[in-house]
Amino acid sequence: MSEQAIDKLSSVFREVPNVQFKQTHARRTEVKLRADTLPAILALLKGRSYIHLSAISCIDRPEFDEFELVYHIWSHEEKNLISAHIKIPKKPGEFVSVHDIYTPAAYFERDIHEMFGVKFEGAPNLKPFVLTEWQGPPPMLKSFDTEKYVQDTYDWLDYQPQWWKEVQEKGGGYAPEDRRAVIMED
Amino acid sequence: MVDKTIPIHADSNTDVTCRNIDKEERTLWRKVIDRIADHCRARSLFVLHYCTGCGAIELPPAITSRFDSERLGMQPMVSPRQADLLLITGYLSVKTLKRVILSYEQMQSPKYVIGFGSCTINGGMYWNSYATIKRLEAYIPVDLYIAGCMPRPEAVQQSFIKLMEQIDNGEANAWKDYYRNYDRYLAKQQALFGDEWHTHVDVVAEAEHYQLLTEQTTGQHTKLLEKFANQYAMHDFSTVQIPEEEKVE
Amino acid sequence: MEELKLSEILLEMVAMPLVAFIVGLFLVLMMRRVKAKIERRIGPPFFQPLYDIMKLYNKETQVSHGYMHDVAIMLLLGGYIASEIFLPVPHMHGLAVQGDLLTLMYLLMVPMLGMALGVGQCANPNASIGISRALSSMLAYDIPFVIVVAGAAIMYGTTNLVEIVEIQQTTEWGLFSMPILALAGLMSMHAMLGKEPFEIYVAPSEIATGPMVEMNGKYMGALFVMQCFQLYTIGALYTVLFLGGGVAWLTFLPKIFLVIFIPVAITNLYGRYRTDDAIRWLWKYPTGIALIGLAVVMFK
Repeated sequence: MSEQAIDKLSSVFREVPNVQFKQTHARRTEVKLRADTLPAILALLKGRSYIHLSAISCIDRPEFDEFELVYHIWSHEEKNLISAHIKIPKKPGEFVSVHDIYTPAAYFERDIHEMFGVKFEGAPNLKPFVLTEWQGPPPMLKSFDTEKYVQDTYDWLDYQPQWWKEVQEKGGGYAPEDRRAVIMED
Repeated sequence: MVDKTIPIHADSNTDVTCRNIDKEERTLWRKVIDRIADHCRARSLFVLHYCTGCGAIELPPAITSRFDSERLGMQPMVSPRQADLLLITGYLSVKTLKRVILSYEQMQSPKYVIGFGSCTINGGMYWNSYATIKRLEAYIPVDLYIAGCMPRPEAVQQSFIKLMEQIDNGEANAWKDYYRNYDRYLAKQQALFGDEWHTHVDVVAEAEHYQLLTEQTTGQHTKLLEKFANQYAMHDFSTVQIPEEEKVE
Repeated sequence: MEELKLSEILLEMVAMPLVAFIVGLFLVLMMRRVKAKIERRIGPPFFQPLYDIMKLYNKETQVSHGYMHDVAIMLLLGGYIASEIFLPVPHMHGLAVQGDLLTLMYLLMVPMLGMALGVGQCANPNASIGISRALSSMLAYDIPFVIVVAGAAIMYGTTNLVEIVEIQQTTEWGLFSMPILALAGLMSMHAMLGKEPFEIYVAPSEIATGPMVEMNGKYMGALFVMQCFQLYTIGALYTVLFLGGGVAWLTFLPKIFLVIFIPVAITNLYGRYRTDDAIRWLWKYPTGIALIGLAVVMFK
């Protein structure tokens, strides 16, 4: 079935320039495109039975100064999920909304706008709905230091119990810096 | 600092730094009434059926057939006006905290708050999240905390029993702390929600009514509320849209 | 006609509602314990209804929604307290001889009116929806109830409740002489108590307990007291009409408890009808059965 899917898709993709696609797993296809060709691909695929938009994800790539948007669309007939990756530069941080092709895209775009700051032209409503009291920078950016924000905004209970002191006296306590889990910087 | 002196209506034996009125000074009749009232309050708590966060899942087992809470006299009630006990079961995002404060102020005194789980105590699992609060007692006064993540229904019921003992001894007076130190609570709330934040409830007037007004009730933060006062001025009751609070003794 | 002595009347005006309240507390306890036993758990302790009422009256805040709200709560309770005077119980007849069955029925409609007036003052849409549903279901259950009462009055030939009790004591009970009407009466009584499947006007999760949503403190305490009175009054009325009343408390009370036990036991097995479903059902089955019973009575 995956060969048939790829064959069908290759006929679709040949209509659009600059596309690379690869079948990574049994029901997963990864497609990399240019940003301005995405709405055309989505419209074509929707006509070819990929009628369900599962999600739109956004990845912050600070080292390249761009956002990577991934559109996941599923076909019930072929049982195949296509993940279309595009990259948009951070400086304008804008992209066109695919709300007219897939209606659920409106909420995903609203969420990405709230969390990353990406503006979608043509989206019906970009008001925040999760962080309605939020006044800071978009929190999902890698440049946002959440721990520093927490230390600045909230205060803590001062808790120095006896049992913790005893544990530290015996040599226990927090793990040393080099043994703590390192968060992936990628 | 406040410019005007606020006349303190509290009784002369009220010590503003501690949470309990000195029990010995009440008349005998007052003591008997209070004892009977506390006995009845402890044995008939109405729980607000609204639980935040992860711990909401621990409430249905505690109320229903297996770990029956009705034998302790507790039953769930659906509206904050009808409830005595507010359970904060788990983390509170900033968005939910606003609604919880509104619900808390609509509840009628005497009211009790129990904080479940480590998220209400000191941040818990979400200690480094930008969207949840770390200490519940900075925003509303709390009677009792239960440790756990989440505490099991047996622990929940033990906390109910402990709260009932506290009410019986006359120690569950955290609701008075809200009136005595309203400026501090409002300061913390406005730090999160912005300087324009206010509720419909006139807490300072209620504090005056209960004779719990102290120097810490009003301050620079409550002064900001005065500019909203004329929005909630007394209306004709035939046209009232927002229910006004009138104290009927 | 019995002679009225003022002192006796005054004493009974205090004693009859008091007895009704105390018996009502036990009926509420029975209701909660039966529900608990069906759900396989222990129910509340013995004094629980009393603790609830006393706690509610000891609330330090009372939120009032205006003058009409306060007065309406008194109307609510007053309707039931007044109707106790007209309900003859063993050794105390009150004004049951002078006022009769029709006065009692009239008075039983006053509490709902009071609730409607008071609840309309609260600016809460849940309360308004609840009370509109309550009045619709009142329209529904009153039709079979009135037919049943009229049939009973025709059967006994009098609307004087004391004479009805005497007739049943000498001949057979109303249950045996007009069984069809008794069945219809049981059904409409179930609806009058507001138990499932006719619980639409309370509807705890759906409209946040409907009329009670803005009430607490003394107001809710009054509603709890009203519940005690309501269970007692309706149970006692049914007992007097169909189960022979009682000449002694020892025979009267078990009958009331039995009569209330039946709706309370079957209420836990049902969900909740919508308002239009409830009206449709109540105008079909209890009304139909009551009309058949009425026909049987009239042609006897």
